[in-house]
Amino acid sequence: MTAPNLWEVLDRACNTGPVMTGKDFDMKVFQTTTRLVKEHDIKYDPRTPVSSDEGLADEAWNAGLDLFREVGSYCISSGRLIRFDDSEIREGLKELRGEASVGEGGEMRRLTLRSIEDKKPPTIVCGGVIESNFPEGENFVKLYQSIAQEPLIDGFYVGPPLQSSEGRLVRSGTPLETHSGRSMATWVREAVRRAGRPGLHFISACTPAIANIAAADPVDGLRRSDGIVATIMPELKTDYENLNKVTFSQDYGCVKHIYNGGMIGGWAGGPEGALIVSIANTVMAIMVYKIGIGSSYNALGYLRASAPNYSAFVTRPCVWGSSIGSQALSRNTKIINTCIAMTNAGPGTEMQLQEITSAQCAAIPCGREGVSQGARRFKVRPLLGSGMENRFWGELAYALAGVKRDLASTIADKMLSRYEGTITRESDGGPLGYTFDEIYDLKTLTPRKQFTEIHLKMKRELEDLGLDFKDDPGGNS
Amino acid sequence: MTSEGEVLNKLRDAVLGYDSEAAIEAAKEAIDLKIDPVKAIEEGLAKGLREIGDKFEKGELYLPHLIMGADTMEAAIHVLEGHMSKAGLESTSRGTVVIGTVEGDIHDLGLRIVASMLRANGFKVYDLGFNTKTLDFIEKAKDVNADIIAVSSLMTTTMPFMKDLIEALDASGLRDKFSVMVGGGPVTDKWAKEIGASAYGRDASEAVRVAKEIMAKKRK
Repeated sequence: MTAPNLWEVLDRACNTGPVMTGKDFDMKVFQTTTRLVKEHDIKYDPRTPVSSDEGLADEAWNAGLDLFREVGSYCISSGRLIRFDDSEIREGLKELRGEASVGEGGEMRRLTLRSIEDKKPPTIVCGGVIESNFPEGENFVKLYQSIAQEPLIDGFYVGPPLQSSEGRLVRSGTPLETHSGRSMATWVREAVRRAGRPGLHFISACTPAIANIAAADPVDGLRRSDGIVATIMPELKTDYENLNKVTFSQDYGCVKHIYNGGMIGGWAGGPEGALIVSIANTVMAIMVYKIGIGSSYNALGYLRASAPNYSAFVTRPCVWGSSIGSQALSRNTKIINTCIAMTNAGPGTEMQLQEITSAQCAAIPCGREGVSQGARRFKVRPLLGSGMENRFWGELAYALAGVKRDLASTIADKMLSRYEGTITRESDGGPLGYTFDEIYDLKTLTPRKQFTEIHLKMKRELEDLGLDFKDDPGGNS
Repeated sequence: MTSEGEVLNKLRDAVLGYDSEAAIEAAKEAIDLKIDPVKAIEEGLAKGLREIGDKFEKGELYLPHLIMGADTMEAAIHVLEGHMSKAGLESTSRGTVVIGTVEGDIHDLGLRIVASMLRANGFKVYDLGFNTKTLDFIEKAKDVNADIIAVSSLMTTTMPFMKDLIEALDASGLRDKFSVMVGGGPVTDKWAKEIGASAYGRDASEAVRVAKEIMAKKRK
């Protein structure tokens, strides 16, 4: 027996799955999750942001699997359920090969499994600027050149959207967005060429499928060693745009990069429910998006606290859930799993580096294979992003290899206690930070002293807490 | 003999327990006891929903609780409204809001939170969901004689559709009839002013406060 292939999955999504209203599905997710939290005795512990409880990780895995088995997933375009029986899910899990490869030539990277507290360095450090909202043209090229020139970076995420295309405002779903998808890919290739790394991997994250498809070009655009992001929507949902991305990625043969998570405060309920849902969403990535087929990797992303007063991704309950989710997947699957950090603070601030540290403490020591997508400020503003925070992103991922979870928890606790009180409505979540042209001298593409000093200060502080930032962590091939 | 106070408590508790059957039963008791339906709504059902809203703000309850509470309240209102005058029915509403996420944007979680918080605060809400076309907002607002059109966007590439809404209202001579509130991750007060929106809500609590302010001005 084999797991249902993509064509069978699409048939269920488009033609044969039972019809249900979105509201009924959401409520079923909530009710089932609430019951499973109790049945599996999962309790949030704010005192231990990075958990070492492997029994809890296994309970969370079983609860997530139960949730997916019971409710399945939902296609909002067709209003149909996409469900799988137990034997199909077992077969789907067997499809995972525990490896993937990205990039070309000297920039080819092989992603392999890591275990909890593994001394092996991360097998991919994917950076980037999520939703950079950059102007088109030269500064866009320079931004990604500033990231590509960082030696520890193995690839990067190119998030939507550009402010404009051909000098005109870009609107979602319009032909100008399709054109900007192609333009972005071309400029990225120029950026990596200028950095002397023409084979460097990138992930295209245009919102409509057609803009990613338009970028596909084995020479000047999105190559087969690059990736397209498909997202699982909260919670356990997909739509035709995302299924189009998955289908095209499989047909073209490029990397699938799946982004999913669970949202605190939404249909999952509290931190415990969001943890379970994040695992069920990953099972959905395996079953619906077929992450075991081809060269693919997963980013277990948001456990966003979504409350009226603030939205934030690297809060204490989010870090707790992420640490257990990392271990649950590491111990029970062969999925290649990475982490992201949607920060509340902007680039060039101490708080952003503290948030990155908290996020990675819940990832690298907890068995994730690497990091992906880089950091961004959640409240998007133009030009917020640079190579500087990507440098820290890579250096920290290496420094956390081999670190015990207890130490990671102590560090995360210290970092969280510094900034968690500042995530308020009054502060708009955190400091805005600095724009690319403020952080970098654009003529020489080097960061200004003020920002390298913040970066070095943060590293020295983390060294005092027990991390070892090696001067040259070495290659990653 | 059940007292008025006991029935009002039953209505409140039914909402707090998300128990539609109990809410319907309590609503029937209120009618039998000739309790003013407006009072039954405002001092019974709405009290329960406000408590849920307060706990949601503190992070003690979540979006599904708000929705279940609102559904329970609505089930009881169906029973009560047959015994209310049109004026009485209107007096229970703080205002009418047509809400949705703009065209091309499928992020609906924040939208659901704002819609639920508005309901919890006494607004009559028509939720058009995500990926709503500009003209659909206007048609619905005309249909239900709305006070406010509230639109959200989670992406910078869908924000321009907010501007379209204002332009379409201007073009059809309806700009003064409906107030337009905007919100969502990348949306700012500056953007709201630039496009000529009536108000900006940074989050659900602020959206409720701003909607109340709009209605207070309208009713002056």
